[in-house]
Amino acid sequence: MDGKVKKQKQHQQKHSGPKAEKKKLKKQNGSTEEDERKRNPKAFAVQSAVRMAKTFHRAQDIKTKKHHVPVVDRTPLEPPPIVIVVVGPPKVGKSTLIRCLIKNFTRQKLTDICGPVTIVSGKKRRLTFMECNNDINSMIDLAKVADLVLMLIDASFGFEMETFEFLNICQVHGFPRIMGVLTHLDAFKNNKTLRKTKKNLKHRFWTEVYQGAKLFYLSGMVYGEYQNQEVKNLGRFISVMKFRPLVWQTSHPYILADRIEDLTDPERLRTDPKCDRTVSLYGYLRGTHLKNKGQVHIPGVGDFQMSDVNFLPDPCPLPGTQKKRALNEKERLLYAPMAGVGGVVYDKDAVYIDLPANHVKQLQEEVRPTTELVQSLIETHVTLDAKMAASKVSLFSGSAGLDPTDISEVQEGLREIHVWDAHTQTQRRKVVFTGLEEEEDDVSGSSSDEDDDGSDQENQEEEDDLSTFLKEVRDKSEKATKGSTPPVKKRKLEEMQGEEEVIAEAPAFADSEDELERGEADSEGEGEAERAGDSGHCSKESEEDSDDEEDGDEDDESMEEEIGADDSDEEEEQGKYHSGTFKWKEGLQQKASAAFLRHQEAAPNLRKLVYGSVVEAEDSEEEEEELGGLFRVNRPQKSKKVQADALDCSHFNPDISHNWELEEMLNSIRDCFVTGQWEEGQDAATLLKEDEELYGDFEDLETGKVHKGTTGEQDQAETDHQSGRTKSESDEDETDDEDQQVKMDDEEVQKNKRLEKKRRLKERFDTEYDDGDATYFDDLKEEMQKQAELNRAEFEDMDDESRVQYEGFRPGMYVRLEISSLPCEFVTNFDPHYPVIIGGLGTSEGNVGYLQMRLKKHRWYERILKTRDPLILSLGWRRFQTIPLYHIEDHNGRHRLLKYTPQHMHCGASIWGPITPQGTGFLAVQSVSGVKANFRIAATGVVLDLDKSVTIVKKLKLIGYPYKIFQNTCFIKGMFNTVLEVAKFEGASIRTVSGVRGQIKKALSTPPGAFRATFEDRLLMSDIVFLRSWYPVSIPQLYNPVTSLLLPVGQKDSWSGMRTVGQLKHDLGVRNKPSIDSLYKPITRAPRHFNPLHIPKELQKALPFKSKPKLLQPKGKVPRDLKRASVIREPHERKVAELLRALSTVHHYKKKVAQRAHHAKHKEFLQQKEKDEEAKMKRMKDARKKLYRIMGQKDQKKQRSSLKGTPQDD
Amino acid sequence: MASHGLTYEGCNFLRQRLVLSALSGKRVKIKNIRSKDDEPGLRGTVLVYQPGLLYGGTVEHDCNPQRSIGYYLEALLMLGPFMKSPLKATLRGVTNDLTDPTVDLLKSTALPVMKKFGIDGEGFDIKVVKRGMAPGGGGEVVFTCPVRKTVRPVQLTDPGKIKRIRGVAYSVRVSPQMGNRIVESARGILNQFLPDIYIYTDHMKGANSGKSPGFGLTLVAETLNGYFLSAEMLSTPQGQGDPILPEDLGRNCAKLLLEEIYRGGCVDSSNQSLALLLMTLGQQDVSKVLLGPLSPYTIEFLRHIRDFFQIMFKIEVQKPLEDERKGGDKVLMTCVGVGYSNISKTLK
Repeated sequence: MDGKVKKQKQHQQKHSGPKAEKKKLKKQNGSTEEDERKRNPKAFAVQSAVRMAKTFHRAQDIKTKKHHVPVVDRTPLEPPPIVIVVVGPPKVGKSTLIRCLIKNFTRQKLTDICGPVTIVSGKKRRLTFMECNNDINSMIDLAKVADLVLMLIDASFGFEMETFEFLNICQVHGFPRIMGVLTHLDAFKNNKTLRKTKKNLKHRFWTEVYQGAKLFYLSGMVYGEYQNQEVKNLGRFISVMKFRPLVWQTSHPYILADRIEDLTDPERLRTDPKCDRTVSLYGYLRGTHLKNKGQVHIPGVGDFQMSDVNFLPDPCPLPGTQKKRALNEKERLLYAPMAGVGGVVYDKDAVYIDLPANHVKQLQEEVRPTTELVQSLIETHVTLDAKMAASKVSLFSGSAGLDPTDISEVQEGLREIHVWDAHTQTQRRKVVFTGLEEEEDDVSGSSSDEDDDGSDQENQEEEDDLSTFLKEVRDKSEKATKGSTPPVKKRKLEEMQGEEEVIAEAPAFADSEDELERGEADSEGEGEAERAGDSGHCSKESEEDSDDEEDGDEDDESMEEEIGADDSDEEEEQGKYHSGTFKWKEGLQQKASAAFLRHQEAAPNLRKLVYGSVVEAEDSEEEEEELGGLFRVNRPQKSKKVQADALDCSHFNPDISHNWELEEMLNSIRDCFVTGQWEEGQDAATLLKEDEELYGDFEDLETGKVHKGTTGEQDQAETDHQSGRTKSESDEDETDDEDQQVKMDDEEVQKNKRLEKKRRLKERFDTEYDDGDATYFDDLKEEMQKQAELNRAEFEDMDDESRVQYEGFRPGMYVRLEISSLPCEFVTNFDPHYPVIIGGLGTSEGNVGYLQMRLKKHRWYERILKTRDPLILSLGWRRFQTIPLYHIEDHNGRHRLLKYTPQHMHCGASIWGPITPQGTGFLAVQSVSGVKANFRIAATGVVLDLDKSVTIVKKLKLIGYPYKIFQNTCFIKGMFNTVLEVAKFEGASIRTVSGVRGQIKKALSTPPGAFRATFEDRLLMSDIVFLRSWYPVSIPQLYNPVTSLLLPVGQKDSWSGMRTVGQLKHDLGVRNKPSIDSLYKPITRAPRHFNPLHIPKELQKALPFKSKPKLLQPKGKVPRDLKRASVIREPHERKVAELLRALSTVHHYKKKVAQRAHHAKHKEFLQQKEKDEEAKMKRMKDARKKLYRIMGQKDQKKQRSSLKGTPQDD
Repeated sequence: MASHGLTYEGCNFLRQRLVLSALSGKRVKIKNIRSKDDEPGLRGTVLVYQPGLLYGGTVEHDCNPQRSIGYYLEALLMLGPFMKSPLKATLRGVTNDLTDPTVDLLKSTALPVMKKFGIDGEGFDIKVVKRGMAPGGGGEVVFTCPVRKTVRPVQLTDPGKIKRIRGVAYSVRVSPQMGNRIVESARGILNQFLPDIYIYTDHMKGANSGKSPGFGLTLVAETLNGYFLSAEMLSTPQGQGDPILPEDLGRNCAKLLLEEIYRGGCVDSSNQSLALLLMTLGQQDVSKVLLGPLSPYTIEFLRHIRDFFQIMFKIEVQKPLEDERKGGDKVLMTCVGVGYSNISKTLK
């Protein structure tokens, strides 16, 4: 009141005295026990063991529920850009959002969003934006490739059907991350309604996606763009988002094509504009490894074989690995070829330079010369000579041109020749100076032991005067190839001799590299004696071989092709099998196997041996070309044939050069056994010693012996002693080093020892510690982790070219696919706003077959689905129309056909469609064309089985009529047509409509198809008998891929396939003529007559009287003799009777009157009498009253007197 | 619509082609089968195979006595795990002959290899009910195999040292002493390396002994890491060639085992292709297997794998060190699986 606040006296803390002491003490004790459990243990004591068990159980349940099945992390080191699909109904702001995000990340403005736009958003992340237009085809396709979905919702309108449709599509094909974005929030004037709407939309969104799903609000537009801060926030969310791998995406390679080029020959296009096109498609490979030449599916187009795949330099690479926080301007890349952005692009087909449109125009105008002649001169790039050389003469029209090089043997200048180098096992491109061939041969002789085509002739000449021995040797160098024949390489004879000397100690013939075929082929009979008689035998062969060599397609290296060399040898081989000994047993095979093994040893690159090289394969193809269109180069493929028809046997014949009698051989495998010497690290002695070190000193209590841990120096000595190898090393050290050095080394060794000891201790501790709580889940996870590391490490240090061959193209690569037979509409009707997805197909996914699926009509779809109505399915990569049959499983496992899908239940569906792995989800729509008011997804489900034998049955009721009825036996006709049919159904159970059961017994001869049947009761002639049977249904083989991408631009959402019967009838105005029986007619019922109930006499007798039927019916007619005759009176008699009647009437009247009078008199008398009686009673009452009074008085008197007299008595 | 097929020529490697075709779903056409022969053994010389579904279940087959059951079993081992329902195949015919790996060999080596790939369980077995030697046959083998949806990747790189050698010396319709004689001679050689050798003698009598007399020996060496190398040897079939003494047989077989050990690797030479196939069909992970030198059959199989699955193996030769006494060169095969999943199996 007066403005002065009265100041309270402050609390003064005690710093001394008992109170302060107490407090100090309390503080000291209290502060030590922070944990409530320890401070107050009683409060946390176990109250109930059961309850505790329950809570523990629950906690464990929750913990386990959080586990996902661990999968191997196969994401590559440089992952492909994340596909962000922006979805929403029209006019909701999709393009604006993409533009804003691109501007946010790259500072560039993109006016038209066409096709995928790839940007670098951060150091380790790239993004590909793709807008999804309002077409269910695009929605389905993009849901399959999306990593993140930005779902735009017009808040001023609320949810639209497309949103829910898209969500449901996602649910079926694997749920990508979904982020909702609310736009048009500025349309709300009232803040409260805005809040309410936001909340409502949020909660609905949460129920559809998951509780707590992220929903973004873009509040308003500034100059036609969203607010910078909000876009930045959204961008941040995107760049830190984590993704869970989706099953379909991680098991299939796929590409979202961002560039497409038509490579078709322009001439072909001119002649036939509708010809199939060769198209190259570009894009980042995602999902998993892509194999070359595999099969792919392009949704909306169809299945294709890739004719070629190669990888290109990344057009939008991630920045280098410098340490810095943000990207600089140069690294903020943007790549969108379909939208016309991307800068310079080099690839196999062309170089593309992105220039502004006006710039290009100017250039063209400037350059154009005025006259055609000048222009043509300018355009000439090659000189006349070169053109002459390049020109070809064609002998026949349509044949390949004859090249000048084909004709002229000797040509000057450099030539390149492919040479097979045996040492390196590589194809070398050797430069040959033609005309100087001989010299060159001599020169190259020292470096390579192979020759080229040109030297063939020379060899031929030499060959003529060869000795038989040389022939024999040469024969051994004969080679063969399978399909891929590299250019001829012939061994130089001098060299062969030299080589033989080198390997002189090897068994005879072991020097040549192609012995296997001989050895395989050689018969047993030749045996050991072969060596002696060899020359003769071989000379025979050598003639053949030399022919082969002239033809020049035999290859030195691929000797194993030659198994079972030629026909004659094969016969011998046959003989050998009949002789019945093991192939490998024979000494003959020595040479062969030795050569083979040596080959594997000699070949540093076994890969070439197995797979050949790519160049070789190409060469072989070229060789088959025609020469001048007239002569076909004929190359004998005898050896190949022979091998192709050889015995199919997996035995691997042993190397007979190994003589297992020899100690030397035995020694060579000593260490393969546990008894052999162990490796340094695994040796038991070393291990023991290390353990000893680790645990150091211990005392044996029983013996009392004390073991000391050995010191390092002693150890060293011991190890030296143990293994000769280490000793020699240490010896070297000793000799080299001075004393000081030794001391230093000792220290080093000591230190190492200590470190080692420490490491081992830690290891031991780790294993002990981890084993304690390592669960199955942890183990599994660790295993997966290991596998992932191995996957990464295995091919890491390889160059991409060879790496691609082993593991295929890995995700993250920018690849170029070539497809050679795309329909022309794909190119002519191309619209970049529609996604072009190339989905790789797994093994056997390219086939078509029967699929069994579990299907449920979508609860938001209004109608039920009818069997045999065509339906469009989205399954795997594909969208296709098919005819499903719906069925349900009965209790006995029978699949019963359903006419319609159940309303709220799962049912089975069987279709003819593309083979897709079990467990793949699918969705069905009835039509993909146009926009419909209602929810379009008709059904969802999953593939269960790919069984080719379909077991759906439908019920078939056969109806028959009895024509003769005995007691319980009936003859029935009309059910079957022949005796044979009946015979098939003998013993089948039948039933009447009224429920009487029976059985088919035997066919009757006439009428055909009639049979005898027995029933549990007697049938009536009016009964109908039916037989319930099951008839297998076949599935219609309709597989019609939805080719929406081939439709003209603007009509891509109007694909329509096969119509349903209902639609057809509606469109054509056809109405079914109903069968007459099905029409409704007025019901006319005949009056029903019931027969009286008849009770047999015996039964009647037995009944009690009450239940006996009452015989109320009138008695039968009285017999005539008992009947009385009627009396007919005479007139007189009639008069008399009349009179008498009149008299009696009078009499009666008089009597009545008298009686009435009498009655009245009597009544009066009775009254009188009553009165008298009353008076009499009254009198008597009075008299009695008097009497009683007197008697009472008397009694009173008596009582009184007695009372007087009694006191004495008491 | 169906994927394009592959075309081959000649009768050789028929099993490989059919097995791979069945697994990959690719159609295969084989032309010119013994087209130049007077007796091609077929009605035509062209075979077209359109693969379907592998059903499994109980099957019985009377095998042609020209080839032994091992011939059929080799293919069946590759297909068995990828059937619709577990396979129970009863094969009748020749159990042991010279050209193909015998049933005993497959039982002792192929099954452990497959177990490494996660194909195991109770019903995984090869059972020799009756033994039938070469020309006559009359043997019976029951092969049961569970189904798997996927095959797991393996890293079989360290074979380890051989800890024991086991074996079966079998004889039918000859003196039971034959078995003992074989065992004696085989042990004589192997004892130089290892004391832990036990060779069972299996003499089948009566109805279980087939139609022809014969005897043989299968030896299996087991390493510390659980890999098996084996060798086998048989008597010559009755009436074909010179008879062989059981002592010789035992000795030779032991030498063959030494040869096999010399080759080494984690998978023995007759199962190389099986192991490579299972690696190919594994998940999309790296699998590694150390093999001995590749057999011609395996090399052809590798080419076929490339044709059917577009898988190439990384082949690295490991040469033994100077002073190492562990046999010859080894080959380390590495590949990334195709991520195969059994499309025959029903989803419950």
